[in-house]
Amino acid sequence: MLIRIELSDPRPIYQQIVDEVRRGIVLGTALPEDPLPSVRALAAELRVNPNTVAQAYRELERAGVIYTRRGQGTFIATPTGPSERDLLLDDVVDRAIRDARRFGIEPHELAEAILRAAGAGSLSSSPSFPSGDR
Amino acid sequence: MTLPSLPARLDGRTLALETRAVHVTYAGGTAALAGLDLQVPEGAVYVLAGPNGAGKSTAIKVLLDLVRPRQGTAHVCGVEVARKPALARAHVGYVPEKAEISLGWLDAARYLRHHAAFFDAWDWDYARALCARLNVPLEPRVGTLSKGGLRALMLVTALAHRPPVLLLDEPADGLDPLARETLAALLVEHMAEWPTTVLWSTHHVHEADRLADHVGLLLGGRLVLQAERGALDAALRRYRIQAPPGWAGAPSLNGEVLLREGSGPDLAWTVWGDEREVAGRITASGATVRDAARLSLEDAALAVLRAGSRP
Repeated sequence: MLIRIELSDPRPIYQQIVDEVRRGIVLGTALPEDPLPSVRALAAELRVNPNTVAQAYRELERAGVIYTRRGQGTFIATPTGPSERDLLLDDVVDRAIRDARRFGIEPHELAEAILRAAGAGSLSSSPSFPSGDR
Repeated sequence: MTLPSLPARLDGRTLALETRAVHVTYAGGTAALAGLDLQVPEGAVYVLAGPNGAGKSTAIKVLLDLVRPRQGTAHVCGVEVARKPALARAHVGYVPEKAEISLGWLDAARYLRHHAAFFDAWDWDYARALCARLNVPLEPRVGTLSKGGLRALMLVTALAHRPPVLLLDEPADGLDPLARETLAALLVEHMAEWPTTVLWSTHHVHEADRLADHVGLLLGGRLVLQAERGALDAALRRYRIQAPPGWAGAPSLNGEVLLREGSGPDLAWTVWGDEREVAGRITASGATVRDAARLSLEDAALAVLRAGSRP
């Protein structure tokens, strides 16, 4: 699994690390029982504060995405609850809607444009599309 | 100053570095510090930022007893600096702002031996490894080293005894981009291996963005903001606003806006506060909030410092 962060990203660094691990799980590059790098090793690799990595791992552990085996390290957990793929999709959608709003584009216009770009026709008749309240 | 109320205290934490109501006045009556309450929690990477002359270097010198305050006290790891300066300094690795050297005729190896004698915990293997990583040549006289070379040598002397506290005054000044990268990597590895509190003074805040977990912003010898990074990330936002024609602003936010950018219908306001509440107040005034974005550490520092230095 490759964990990368960008300083220009609007998400805080710990959130980026959390998302990278989740992304690895969705893409299948991180499988249940796979070991994660130690806090120390990942901090050194990313050049970030070790406390930030520890914070990301705590968050992932609380969400049941990873678990710690005392003295052996941190591992990807076997998934329970909503799939990481669904959670990630929610995040992607949320970010796209925020981005579009900044340019005055409403969610239904965004959805139509996405489908057009993907060559899949129009959604304009769908009444159940989320209104994206914030 | 026209600043809204910003958090300026980190009470309730175990502090590695602390100054209490410190006043420093230089000859000629210039006030360098005017009631500084610096609070650096144990294990923090604390970035101290502010314009030139705001008192960053003076604050660090007070912690080393290199400058005696006219009023107030300073503590390093619980030791009162003015009472036991040698004991306080034993806890500290220091990289001074001005890379001047008093023993310029020594070669780097002898310079390091001279320093090593002051610290029981000096680790020669580590010192040699640091010299190799930072490309510090050991043969030439230190007086002939480049600015960057001298800075790197200072870093070696600060790190090689593994002090619980690092005081870094513009540590990347004079380093080339590659050496800056190496410095960041060295600091992370050092901190991950040995618990260290870092006070990092800089006016290039972006250099510390990946590492900083606490921020202090200094203006006119006082902290206008002192907070955990998480608190800053949670409360400071740049709101993209679409204003209707003739919009009169949001009266309920008067005095709360740190920075107003843009003109006409397209505006960006930087505001400290709960995102929902701030967005709610803007919306209630008739404008549309397009976006509320977190700021980079550099942009956050600039917004507060610019607001604080407005007449």
